Amino acid sequence: MTEETPFRHESIWHMVAAPTVWTLHFAIIYAITAVECSKIGTPEVARLSILVLTVVALALIGWIAWKAWVQWDYPDDQDYVHDKPTVEDRREFLGHAGFLLSIASAIGVIFVAMPALFIETCL
Amino acid sequence: MLDAPVDAEVKARREADLRRAWETPKGWRYWSAVNNTEVGVWYSLTAFFFMLCAGVLALLMRIQLAVPDNDFLSADRFNQFFTMHGSAMMFLFAVPMFEAVSILILPAFLGARDMPFPRLSAYGYWSFLIGGIFVLGSILFNVAPSSGWFMYPPLATEQEGIGPDIWLLGLSFIEVASIAAAVELIVGTIKCRPPGMRINLMPLYAWYVLVVGVMILFAFPPLIAGDFLFELQRSMDWPFFDPDRGGDPLLWQHLFWIFGHPEVYIVFLPSIAIAAMIVPTAAQRPMVGYSWIVLSAVGVGFLSFGLWVHHMFTTGLPSLSLGFFSAASEAVVIPTGVQIFAFVATLMVGRVTMSQPMLWIAGALAIFTAGGLTGVMVAIAPFDWQVHDTYFIVAHLHYTLFGGMVFPIIGGIYYFYPFITKKKMSDRLSRWAFWLTFSGFNICFLPMHLTGLQGMPRRVVTYPEAAGWDVLNMVSTLGSFIVAAGILVFAWDLLRPKGRQPLTERNPWNAGTLEWSHDVPEEAWGVRSVPYISSRYPLWEQPKFLERFDDGKFYIPDAPEGKRETIVTSAVDAVPQAVVQVTGPAWVTLWAAAFTGGAFILPVFKFYWLSAFSGVCAVACVIYWLWTSTAQVPKTPMRDAGLGLRLPVYVTGPKAPGWWAVFITMLGDATAFASLVFGVFFFWTARPDFPPEGAALPDMMWALLALLAFVVAWGATVAARELNRGGRQGVARWCIVGAVVATLAALGGMWLAIVLPGLQPETHAFPAVMYALTVWTSAHCVLAVVMLLYCLAGSVFGKLTQLYDADLRNTTLFWHFMCLSGVITTLLVGVAPRLM
Repeated sequence: MTEETPFRHESIWHMVAAPTVWTLHFAIIYAITAVECSKIGTPEVARLSILVLTVVALALIGWIAWKAWVQWDYPDDQDYVHDKPTVEDRREFLGHAGFLLSIASAIGVIFVAMPALFIETCL
Repeated sequence: MLDAPVDAEVKARREADLRRAWETPKGWRYWSAVNNTEVGVWYSLTAFFFMLCAGVLALLMRIQLAVPDNDFLSADRFNQFFTMHGSAMMFLFAVPMFEAVSILILPAFLGARDMPFPRLSAYGYWSFLIGGIFVLGSILFNVAPSSGWFMYPPLATEQEGIGPDIWLLGLSFIEVASIAAAVELIVGTIKCRPPGMRINLMPLYAWYVLVVGVMILFAFPPLIAGDFLFELQRSMDWPFFDPDRGGDPLLWQHLFWIFGHPEVYIVFLPSIAIAAMIVPTAAQRPMVGYSWIVLSAVGVGFLSFGLWVHHMFTTGLPSLSLGFFSAASEAVVIPTGVQIFAFVATLMVGRVTMSQPMLWIAGALAIFTAGGLTGVMVAIAPFDWQVHDTYFIVAHLHYTLFGGMVFPIIGGIYYFYPFITKKKMSDRLSRWAFWLTFSGFNICFLPMHLTGLQGMPRRVVTYPEAAGWDVLNMVSTLGSFIVAAGILVFAWDLLRPKGRQPLTERNPWNAGTLEWSHDVPEEAWGVRSVPYISSRYPLWEQPKFLERFDDGKFYIPDAPEGKRETIVTSAVDAVPQAVVQVTGPAWVTLWAAAFTGGAFILPVFKFYWLSAFSGVCAVACVIYWLWTSTAQVPKTPMRDAGLGLRLPVYVTGPKAPGWWAVFITMLGDATAFASLVFGVFFFWTARPDFPPEGAALPDMMWALLALLAFVVAWGATVAARELNRGGRQGVARWCIVGAVVATLAALGGMWLAIVLPGLQPETHAFPAVMYALTVWTSAHCVLAVVMLLYCLAGSVFGKLTQLYDADLRNTTLFWHFMCLSGVITTLLVGVAPRLM
């Protein structure tokens, strides 16, 4: 029985989804902080929004990581080299790289959000 | 089929055909060549020459700083020297060198005959040469820019003379050439891989090229937008960066560093990519952790865009904002470190031979790691506040750039030299060059950490003896001359005549990647036949590869019509899609570059009309070039590509390299536009008087009518594409005419919206930025009209038909972006100021 190959199996866009979430998270929290600090002077709303956005971003990245993990399919054949000229190796490679990028992006999101935990002023 | 013998006569005839099709022009016509092997060599030698010039400036500065209270150089000349040293090393050496080396070797990695758009490479090269000579030559006339390589206003906007204009216009010109090269390299990597080379088999170098190409698209345009605003202020007195009239100098710093920080990685990644090719060869085994390297390249590509404010830690931004950038700067260490660990792991599990290139790579890793460690220190804002603008930063940046760029590039030149010239460089001279450069570098720059911590600021022409910096400075100066000696030994080894030296063996390092299937002695055809790839290291892992390759048993081993051709494959799985013609030698690219140069350079001397004329000539050259050599209606629609495969010779839409080139160019263009939009919102947050109270606002009605006209023009263009595809050419032509009229209407509407209410751009940053947006979008409208008329002419004269509609497809793609930027411009001008 043949099933239609899902687009994500041959998509670089899915591979870079997690760092894209990092980028959006970064840009939005930077913008929110810049606007609130210049227009209001204290970052309360910004800090709260950063908390919410960080949870959302991490949830999204977690979901992307899970999909990538399933696509990588590591427990099945424990392949992490993917150097064969086959559809399977290409699918697993894109999943593997996407999974690794999710981890790096999650760390990036946590790092970037941390200052908002400790810094309470715009000064 | 692969084992069937090839008739000797057939083989000889095919080789003769190919040789004739790819022949390099002789005599003075040599300079009309566009082949990647010629252009790549010119490009890299020119970049190397500019690097030597910038190095001489550094030596002169080191002489000046060797002893306290020195008067070897005047303060003004010193300022010109450090400005040009930085500008030339970055814009005339580091980025162009990446492009030069990639143009030279990427097709060979991919088993392609050439880059997808050879004439574009040539155009980029000539632009680079003209712009480089213009910018660097200014120093000989004592009029060079002197406000530092980042040209901060107000110093640079207020500077007398033409120095800043030379910097802005000359380097903008070169940036355009860089973007052209980036487009070429991205399309080459995506569309010109050999059949079978799926994305998981791509050489790591190609991965890095892809990432860096995309980074250039998002990093260079903000600087171009910044240059655009800056030059408008210099020549028209529109006060974007003048705080007295509602401007803000920090806007420039943002735009500059949104470019400037990714730039560091744009320089670093391709050099480390060379290391990624040398390391497996030195270890004689495949790279450990291919996926990890891809993670690292892509991850660095993304994270490097979140670091720019770490150059602005002392500008008084909210500390919360500083925190984000500090954190991102620390996070980027993770992917950067991953690739270095992957290299070390590969070396540990392999059998390493310390070849010439590997010695340089080892030096690179050591120096870069040291630079990375100081990077981790300066990424912490409070530490940066202490060492900002001191020699500690000079030491840090030279460690990263020498280790991350200069050493790997030199290693790469040793490695690829036999591929490029079919000769070898000297083992003995290589060791001399390495040890002189390596020890000299550390003698020069290691003490600078201390000089900086003792408080010596950057960019000072001299210092008093009482400061106690004299010994350290003298050591640095001695070290700098040792580096220079090392580089000279290398340059001698590179350029010395090798006529009597025997040719190299074909694969001198016993490497596994495709470029070492090159022909010795040289053949201009790139590859004898475009191979079928089923491994990451075909020369190691695909049996009988070279034999089949040389016999022409793979794809397109012939040139039956005497044309230059290469295979186009699908983006991810490299399924063959077409055999397309690539362009051959031409003078028009040189003319186009010369006129483009005129358009950029003449405004420096206030020759605005001549500059406009030169611009029109440049456009005319490009139209001639496109009309006569791209998207030609083929005589026979299909071609036998070998191995029983028949492929079309014309593709249109997303299958075509040209479509990708337009898409990628427009991404870059959209980034520049987004930077202008960022400018509007930046003013809004940074200034309480934006828009100033009681100021005239642009007319909403005219702006909205312009918006409507943009949408109509876009709709007409899409309709023209569909009607043409449906065989109704007559109606399609009228749609194109309609689109032209609507575009002109939109153009008029935009101008009426700002001129009627009486906005004066010289008075305040608010009207100035409204004008700037309108000028930007108007220029695109003019381009849109030219493209539409080109399609109309194509349709009338039979170049654009129902089946062969690439030009119209590309124009429609352009219009998707055009419409979006038109809508945003009109909303920003007509509606947004009323809400701010």
